[in-house]
Amino acid sequence: MVREFELPDVGEGVAEGEIVDWLVEEGDPVEEDQPVAEVETDKAVVDVPSPVDGSVQEIHAAAGEMVPVGTVIITFAEEGDADSGEATTTEESKETDAATEASAATGDVETTAEETADEETPTASGRVFAAPSARRLARELGVDIGSIDGSGPGGRVSEHDVRAAAEDAKEVDEEGSDSPEPATTRVEGSSGTDAGEGDTTGGGAAQASSTGQPSASGSAAGGATAGESADRERTLAAPATRKLAADSGVDIDAVPTDEERDGEAFVTPAAVESYAEAQQAAQDADRAAVAESRGEERIPYRGVRRTIGQQMAESKYTAPHVTHHDEVDVTALVEARTDLKELADEQGISLSYMPFVMKACVAALREFPMVNSMLDEEAEEIVQKKYYNIGVATATDAGLMVPVVEDADRKNMLQLASEMNELVEKARERTISREEMQGGTFTITNVGAIGGEYATPIINHPEVAILALGAIKEKPRVVDGEIVPRKVMTLSLSIDHRVVDGAIAAQFTNRVEEFLENPQRLLLEA
Amino acid sequence: MVVGDVTTGTDVLIIGAGPGGYVAAIRAGQLDLDVTLVEKDAYGGTCLNHGCIPSKALISATDVAHDASTAEEMGIHADPAVDLAGMVGWKDDIVDQLTGGVEKLCKANGVNLVEGRAEFAGDNTVRVAHAGEGQGSETIQFEHAIVATGSRPMAIPNFAFDGERIISSREALALDAVPESLVVVGAGYIGMELSTVFAKLGTDVTVVEMLDSALPAYEDDVARVVKSRAEELGIDFHFGEGASEWVESGDGITVKTEDEDGEISEFGAEKALVAVGREPVTDALNLDAIGLATDEGGFLETDDRARTDVETVFAVGDVAGEPMLAHKGMKEGEVAVEVIAGEPSALDYQSVPAAVFTDPEIGTVGMTEKEAKEAGFSTVVGEMPMRASGRALTLGESDGFVRVVADDDAGFVLGAQIVAPEASELIAELGLAVEMGATLEDVAATIHTHPTLGEAVMEAVENARDRAIHTLNR
Repeated sequence: MVREFELPDVGEGVAEGEIVDWLVEEGDPVEEDQPVAEVETDKAVVDVPSPVDGSVQEIHAAAGEMVPVGTVIITFAEEGDADSGEATTTEESKETDAATEASAATGDVETTAEETADEETPTASGRVFAAPSARRLARELGVDIGSIDGSGPGGRVSEHDVRAAAEDAKEVDEEGSDSPEPATTRVEGSSGTDAGEGDTTGGGAAQASSTGQPSASGSAAGGATAGESADRERTLAAPATRKLAADSGVDIDAVPTDEERDGEAFVTPAAVESYAEAQQAAQDADRAAVAESRGEERIPYRGVRRTIGQQMAESKYTAPHVTHHDEVDVTALVEARTDLKELADEQGISLSYMPFVMKACVAALREFPMVNSMLDEEAEEIVQKKYYNIGVATATDAGLMVPVVEDADRKNMLQLASEMNELVEKARERTISREEMQGGTFTITNVGAIGGEYATPIINHPEVAILALGAIKEKPRVVDGEIVPRKVMTLSLSIDHRVVDGAIAAQFTNRVEEFLENPQRLLLEA
Repeated sequence: MVVGDVTTGTDVLIIGAGPGGYVAAIRAGQLDLDVTLVEKDAYGGTCLNHGCIPSKALISATDVAHDASTAEEMGIHADPAVDLAGMVGWKDDIVDQLTGGVEKLCKANGVNLVEGRAEFAGDNTVRVAHAGEGQGSETIQFEHAIVATGSRPMAIPNFAFDGERIISSREALALDAVPESLVVVGAGYIGMELSTVFAKLGTDVTVVEMLDSALPAYEDDVARVVKSRAEELGIDFHFGEGASEWVESGDGITVKTEDEDGEISEFGAEKALVAVGREPVTDALNLDAIGLATDEGGFLETDDRARTDVETVFAVGDVAGEPMLAHKGMKEGEVAVEVIAGEPSALDYQSVPAAVFTDPEIGTVGMTEKEAKEAGFSTVVGEMPMRASGRALTLGESDGFVRVVADDDAGFVLGAQIVAPEASELIAELGLAVEMGATLEDVAATIHTHPTLGEAVMEAVENARDRAIHTLNR
């Protein structure tokens, strides 16, 4: 049995994902739960596992493609089926051969076109709700009208429905079989033989060449129509087709077509669609070419980049930001950290300033719960969080990510350090899960790690505050009436002014500073 | 090879020039196929020569006389004299005109016409024995053959047709004098149509039917309207009796019938018309020669392309099975030829309408309510009695009703039964609805001319939607 596999909902509420890479190729054997693809969603890269034991029959999405959840991205042949699948193909080609031979044989006798007609479309059993003209079209296009879900009242099948079904079937066919070529060649070969036998068998030769033609002219036309436009005075088309053309921004007289009705060019909706697509592709190519010549490059805005953008825009447009700046003397903190770092190193944990800042913030957040809250606009309630999940903004190659250290109030400095280090590493390696970046109540961003003094950070919505740390620099400070060099760090606290007022922001910052100036005071905090 | 035997070849050989055969031949000509049509008797077959057309001519003519003589209510007092020979002569002229037309159309479309009786002589040959002694025969090779040999009246034991005392519909349509009395065996549509004709001409008609109702193929309430009217015309019905034998008695005959319990009744009459059904004509075709066999009923089985078990042989019309109706055969004839020509044609019609030209007429198409339910539809039914139709009243014919059966969910029209004046015409609209997959709303929203009988169709449809104006909605 063939098993179609749809892109699953790899994270809560994820609508689409980018196929980063395929880990298997068509024909590869797979085991259940073996990762077959890497899919990037909002902020995480997730492995998509195989649901079956078997082999990869077909991969439907290219690496780099954005795919909506629920789209079939890969089909598997379940164990033991690979053989039977091949058997079917072989049988089909046998049938084709047989049919070809049959037509070649009857070609000796004078014959009508019947033998060369494609396989007959069976008529539906039971009542069919469709006009006779639609039923005739279904037979003509080889579609089982009984299987079409009509778009008319009560499911009545229209001519348009039939054409759409035929298009679908054709696509499936084209994807599914690579083998019609030999059959075509064979027919062309037999036409040569027939023609050679004498002019009297004109019927046979004519048929064979007409059988041969569509494939040849078809491929040529396929290449030509992509770029070429027609330029007619008059075009026959259904009103719906004209509307489709107008909606697609396409001039119906420019749509190339082979069909005619009453001697006039007749354009189908399918022709409009393919022409519109070709035009679009051509325009895109033109634009890309022009841009490239001027030294531009277009980078798809999607995945992590787009998520960051959307998140930032939502925050900035939703929350009125106010940023409070201050400087804090961290000379004592630098000394304390230098002392403790050695001890931490002995335990194999790298101790940065961040755990100190986290501790200081948690202490201050306890005192100013409004800063550790969110606004539930719908319920018109401010939700004060009694837990302290601290996000740590992290620059990665893919962009900004914010891993969250949960329950920072209940962890000691070393635990905070090791947990944070681990999360940051995962974020940089892009192995972090969505869940590990959710549920934050307050965020710290260490812009100073790269350089600079002040920043106006954007709140990690729906949190209501974010603290940016500047670089620690030696600056002249007045201590006991004397100017002395001191280690100084800048702080920038952005608040959602809907929830937090400037006074609270200043008080909160002051409290954080007290802890950072006197790190031993953190000992009094749990 | 027989001396004088000539061999010719053809793409499509059609045996029988009735509605199935001649339509196939003309279509074949239109499609530029080399086509040969063999007919042993008369172009147009049973339908034009001995069936549909002559019977309709006599029905119309007798109606003229009968209506005139029963129009006192309208203030008309008349006593028309009927000259049956004259009436039959008028009918023959119509038949000649139509059969001549068929022949001309065939020739104009390049159909080779061959007169004679054809039988298969091998895989792809037939031998045609030309009519008339010493006319010889010819062998025709074909790529494809279409059997369209039609049907003939079925005889029953002890009632061999003699054309004099025991007659079939064929002779009944060519009588030169109105019989004083007539026993009609069989109350199917042919028996009922002819009984009505003769009753209106003044014949004392007795109908004997083995089953327990008139027009047993139709629903009770539909058949009842026709039977009541027939009884008003003086037709005497005897149900549950089968004709067992007949004897000459004086100037006429006595027909003996027997019921289930063996009780015997006797009916004296001038003639007996046996109309118990029709059987396919396949026995003279030498089907063995081409490897075909008929089913038990003598029919050739065909697929949805009108093709028999032998790929090059098609069968259309009455030989291809029920319903034995000319229009079904015509459709099959077209499809068979189109398939031969390589067109994506098939027999996928949704319904075959049927008409009975009794008084009043019956027209049906698609499913009855019972059939629709059996097919799994949840049904809704709408009716319009003709007595509520202004036009029916002005015609002085207000018996009957229009009934439509539809799918309750989507509103698709599934079938209709009409027993009413001009029911044979009225049914066409509903046939289109069924074939197109139209809904009740589609038909109801179509403006119907006032004042016409057709409005009754619209009203019945509206009734199914509980929106009828001129009847109370159920």
